[in-house]
Amino acid sequence: MQTLDFQKMENIERSSARKRIFYRWLLFIILGIFALYYLAPLYVMIITSLKTMEEIRQGNLMTLPREIIFDSWITAWSGRGGIDAGNVFLRPFFWNSLKMVVPAVAISTFFGALNGYALTKWRFKGDNIIFLLFLFGCFIPYQAILLPMSRTLGFLGISNSISGLVLVHTVYGLSFTTLFFRNYYISIPDEMIKAARIDGAGFFKIFFKVLIPISAPIAVVTVIWQFTNIWNDFLFGSSFSFGEAAPIQVALNNMVLTSTSVKEYNVDMAAAFIAGIPTLLVYILAGKYFIRGLTAGSVKG
Amino acid sequence: MATLKVINLTKSFGNTKVLKQINLKVNDGEFIVLLGPSGCGKSTLLNMIAGLETVDDGEILIDEYVVNRVEPKDRNIAMVFQSYALYPAMTVRNNVIFGLKQRKISKEHIEKSLNHFSKMLKIDQLLDRKPAQLSGGQRQRVAMGRALVREPQIFLFDEPLSNLDAKLRVEMRHEINKLHESLGTTMIYVTHDQVEAMSLATRIAVMNEGIIQQIGTPQEIYDKPNSIFVADFIGSPAINLIQGKFYKDGTISCFIPEQQKENVKISLNDYSFISEPKEGQEIILGFRPEHLNLPDTSLNSQMAVSLKPSLIELTGYEKEVSFEFYGNEITGRLPRHINIELGKPISLSIDLSEISIFDKSSTMRI
Repeated sequence: MQTLDFQKMENIERSSARKRIFYRWLLFIILGIFALYYLAPLYVMIITSLKTMEEIRQGNLMTLPREIIFDSWITAWSGRGGIDAGNVFLRPFFWNSLKMVVPAVAISTFFGALNGYALTKWRFKGDNIIFLLFLFGCFIPYQAILLPMSRTLGFLGISNSISGLVLVHTVYGLSFTTLFFRNYYISIPDEMIKAARIDGAGFFKIFFKVLIPISAPIAVVTVIWQFTNIWNDFLFGSSFSFGEAAPIQVALNNMVLTSTSVKEYNVDMAAAFIAGIPTLLVYILAGKYFIRGLTAGSVKG
Repeated sequence: MATLKVINLTKSFGNTKVLKQINLKVNDGEFIVLLGPSGCGKSTLLNMIAGLETVDDGEILIDEYVVNRVEPKDRNIAMVFQSYALYPAMTVRNNVIFGLKQRKISKEHIEKSLNHFSKMLKIDQLLDRKPAQLSGGQRQRVAMGRALVREPQIFLFDEPLSNLDAKLRVEMRHEINKLHESLGTTMIYVTHDQVEAMSLATRIAVMNEGIIQQIGTPQEIYDKPNSIFVADFIGSPAINLIQGKFYKDGTISCFIPEQQKENVKISLNDYSFISEPKEGQEIILGFRPEHLNLPDTSLNSQMAVSLKPSLIELTGYEKEVSFEFYGNEITGRLPRHINIELGKPISLSIDLSEISIFDKSSTMRI
């Protein structure tokens, strides 16, 4: 009897081990397929940007370049030197975008934190209604505010300027940043604020000395979110700016659409890649905090 | 020197009345414990004394001065919280001196009190650590240090030991006791733990549903609870309560248990009523488990009973035994060495000099 049971247990053990290995491999294969699927366009972009136009015309979309040439990257970044109308290149617009994204992210993140703090730690009558209005702001479609916003910018005298775009993105981003910080701060015990009040700290002192130093996880999430959205925005950029004041996404569009005579796929691809580098960098540098911050508050630390 | 007076204090959150006309007078140097089940309003009362909650109606006076509209920082109080409420981003040193820094106190003085109190609380080795690197007990010490360096007139404690494990809780309780002894500062302490309340307080205020049910020394509260709620809330195992009727025949007054077949009467001749009930009035008899014990000839007022144990629990130094007693389950605390068996009758006696009588309809002591 005993040996029989032993045999049986061993069989069960072996078959469950086999199953485990099978599912593991299945998982890897499925994940691998998805990774390839999502990486394929990037691959095509990069190899195309490194080919000459001649090679692009002859060859296959997926083949590697015969010779790696960075000319198209240089063209995309700083142009060919001529000053004809069709010669659009990214460098000035890259700086435009940077000048827009840095203040817009900083201001919207700061005020989001301040709002979240006030909404959770200094409760007042109707605070929930105000929070609801903020939430509502997250769901307003971009297109709906184009007209009123352009009138506002005109009234303020900052239409077609970087500062105008900073304002638009700050205002539009506030709903999201407030939501993020509010959800983070609600998990921080009120007693900490009470202790600080008894210690003699006021509204701003508590905010800067007690809360800001522990807000890194959610600040990272907010910065990534805002940076990606503002950097990649095309609609606001194209609606509220043109010519020299345009951000990079608008310039990229102009570049691709206004090239004279032939389409230079290699330059277009290089330009598209350059326009995407900053967001990629932000994700790579801060990505691991992103997931951590998104789930913050759900589990008691 | 600080006294505290609370006069007719009321507080509502929305439609819920949390505090109903609270009156409390705390003398200088007293250790008052606010004791009650969760949701009884004790923490709200403490927060209002601290100035962290606004007052709806009534007055709070510290040293005869109305502080209703005074900011927490100007009330000269310090508070210790259940969750310690340390500032996670600051070192222990900065946590402790944060309050002093806000008050623009000279560096020398800050350094001096930091040294003094960190040694006293044995946290002087931890000053450069962050709160996350400390154990629960150490964190609570730091939180106490933060309160102590301020040298306030009144200390407020909001369930400071509830997050600690049992052994540490006892240890910290002793330290708080010693602290009160050596500082002599007025302290107000909120807890739901009756052992903490009994061992720390000079006076206990038992609260329930926004009302102070009884206020008195631990001994008074334990021996002469003024309502069924207080009697039942204090003491573990809980007090034995038996329903019955009051019966009077000439000069003999007695208690008749509700469910009984044989004509049992418990004499109440030695009980001093606050106001004697009417003949046949429904009353409740209460006695603590330690007053149901082996017959003791030295007692002059006792009632012999023969009871069958229905549950025997050994707690280590004694046996807690449950019996069926005229439809009620009652508990006795018996010496651990006695031989008892389930279902086998045993002769015991109830000490009638230690009983309490409550009116059934008003639930108050009579």
